[in-house]
Amino acid sequence: MTLNDYLPLLVMMVLALVFVGAAVLISRIFSPKRPTVEKSAPYESGILPETEPAQRFPVKFYMVAMLFVIFDVEIIFLFAWASRFNDLGWYGIGAVAIFTAFVLETLAYVWKRGALDWNVKHRARYMTAADREAA
Amino acid sequence: MIEVTAGWYLSLAAVLFSIGLLGILVRRNALIMFMCVELMLNAVNLTFVAAGRALGNLEGQVAVFFVLVVAAAEVVVGLAIIVAIFRRRESASVDELATLRG
Amino acid sequence: MTFAQVLTPPSVGWIAIAPEIVLGVGAALILLFDVQYKPKRTHLGLATAAIVATAFAFAIVQYDRVQTLSQATADQAADFVATAFPFDAMIVLDANAVFGRFAMLLVTGLGLAAGWRLFERLGARAAEGLALMLLSATGFMFMASSTHLMMVFLGLEVGSIALYVLAGITRERTESDEAAIKYFLLGSVASAVFIYGVALTYAGSGSMNLLEIQGVLARNIFTRPAVLLIGIALMVVGMGFKVSAAPFHSWAPDVYQGAPGGIVGYMAAAAKIGGFAALIRILFTAFPDFISTWGPLVAGIAALSMLLGSTVALVQDDIRRMLGYSGVAHAGFILTGVVAGGAGTGEVWFYLGVYTVQLVGAFGVVAAVTGAATSGAGIDAFRGLSKRAPFLAATFTVLLLGMAGLPLTSGFVAKFGVFTEAWQAGYEWLVIVAVLASVIAFFFYLRVIVAMYMEEPVDEAVAPPGISVRASLALASLITIVIGIVPGPLLSLAGEASPL
Repeated sequence: MTLNDYLPLLVMMVLALVFVGAAVLISRIFSPKRPTVEKSAPYESGILPETEPAQRFPVKFYMVAMLFVIFDVEIIFLFAWASRFNDLGWYGIGAVAIFTAFVLETLAYVWKRGALDWNVKHRARYMTAADREAA
Repeated sequence: MIEVTAGWYLSLAAVLFSIGLLGILVRRNALIMFMCVELMLNAVNLTFVAAGRALGNLEGQVAVFFVLVVAAAEVVVGLAIIVAIFRRRESASVDELATLRG
Repeated sequence: MTFAQVLTPPSVGWIAIAPEIVLGVGAALILLFDVQYKPKRTHLGLATAAIVATAFAFAIVQYDRVQTLSQATADQAADFVATAFPFDAMIVLDANAVFGRFAMLLVTGLGLAAGWRLFERLGARAAEGLALMLLSATGFMFMASSTHLMMVFLGLEVGSIALYVLAGITRERTESDEAAIKYFLLGSVASAVFIYGVALTYAGSGSMNLLEIQGVLARNIFTRPAVLLIGIALMVVGMGFKVSAAPFHSWAPDVYQGAPGGIVGYMAAAAKIGGFAALIRILFTAFPDFISTWGPLVAGIAALSMLLGSTVALVQDDIRRMLGYSGVAHAGFILTGVVAGGAGTGEVWFYLGVYTVQLVGAFGVVAAVTGAATSGAGIDAFRGLSKRAPFLAATFTVLLLGMAGLPLTSGFVAKFGVFTEAWQAGYEWLVIVAVLASVIAFFFYLRVIVAMYMEEPVDEAVAPPGISVRASLALASLITIVIGIVPGPLLSLAGEASPL
């Protein structure tokens, strides 16, 4: 592979820069400027926000997101197996069955444990003595 | 025209890895340090793929699968720990974690 | 370029990974059983102990199998390869792997018993702690029993990630969180450095299988020697982090001080066994001919660890930090045996075995005195301990003297062994540094013993330790003394443990 093969990539990058630069520049030159408080406020389409948005997302969302990341990535191995399914035969099926059993075991545990449950009360059983004192 | 050999990729990976390592050493926000670790792991992935291609065998590409999965597991555990700390202290700076020293 | 090739399924050797299967499946069953039936914590603990015992039984079966294999004749060669290198030589069944399992399972059992009060305190999350403990043991055992660098890395990560969680499992104290995040950040950097070393080794030699790498190097056909050398150095550095050798030790004292008292002994011991097992395997199997290259690097790390660990431990007022820095020094002592190359394998394993038992025992005493779920252990808690808790004071004394390497303890035999190997390998200067460091180290162990026996109590009485704690502490002390007086059997067992 030579640097020539990367030429389209370079052209693409230059085009992208030119387009973005031109769009910003043209709108700055030609657009009328009559700012008001409402218009300057971010993300509210000209309407003043009535309350401050919540500063932090509740942790229960993190839990779902993190579990998603784990289960999502595990699937990688199935692609490798599926692409050589015929060659691997029963050995491959056996190996993937063991792998899937462990993934499902984790899912069953997480489910039963209440981690997919957004109602936090169900997790109260898993607080330590000190957690309860603090709560 | 210049030939793009495996050496180029290995050098790029080395630079990325060094940036990640430097970030760990100079930054003090746990999340940023965490992202630097991810950068280091991706530099490793690039090394694996480039070396696999140059050597003409598949092991390098297979290795990337495993590194990716391990990185995902680390992300989850790391974020859980950072969230636990943040709930307690409202800060993700490791400089404030100075109870343990001596 | 095309990658099309015929795939043939590899040979399967269940016996070669039987202990790991038992631990891994056991951990999964404990979790499922706990959420479904909510059993008593004592029953969970007994089940975990049974799982560890079963794995140990399988390790003994493996030991027997290895003995048979070592007498295999030439016409049994195909059979030998299928049994000793199953799964396309991803796994190896040899004395090195089996000894690693013995050490790891012994430490797990002792750690479970000595830290039992922590699991009781975890309440309904006890099953999680127990499962994590079993999983980390599984990972570190794979580090001892694999000849493939990717497998070593996976074992390292399975073990380490479980330990990161265990470090922060109590959620009761800020110190515990802090220990967890520090351990996590520095641990993942170490893992990244190690896997980068693996990638460069692969780029330089064309393989990640240690046996193949050795073959490539022997035939001198590798293409990028510089890349390979950097790869070896990075792998050594990554493992140096895990075993807390200086200058990569900065996490160790913090984690030892901050992590929950009941688990920290196991954490420290397990990481050391896994790290050294992989280091032995990598350096002695794949790069025995490069010893003139990595020898000085390892020797430098060893000397720095011993001097820094011993001197900084002198000024610590927290017993757990003191044990952390002493752990740095001990990593240096063990590395002193590593510089001798393959000849020193037995001595390194011997040291590793006896030291990790002492370590788990010592942290067990600390947990019994200052609490299994707490962080930190000021020396005040130990003043006059002989009057408040004579049994704990006595076992702690034995274990500390063992760590100091006093004659008639296992620590003395271990130190003597690695020093002899290093001397014979031509590292006289390193042995002199090591002896010096041992003398310095003796003082801070002595300081604790003096505080326990000669000083007046400051704190009130200690709650009497439970039966499991007493049993594990007694066993650890007994091992320290008995091996110290009759080291022969263990020495010969460790001596067999050279990698194939």
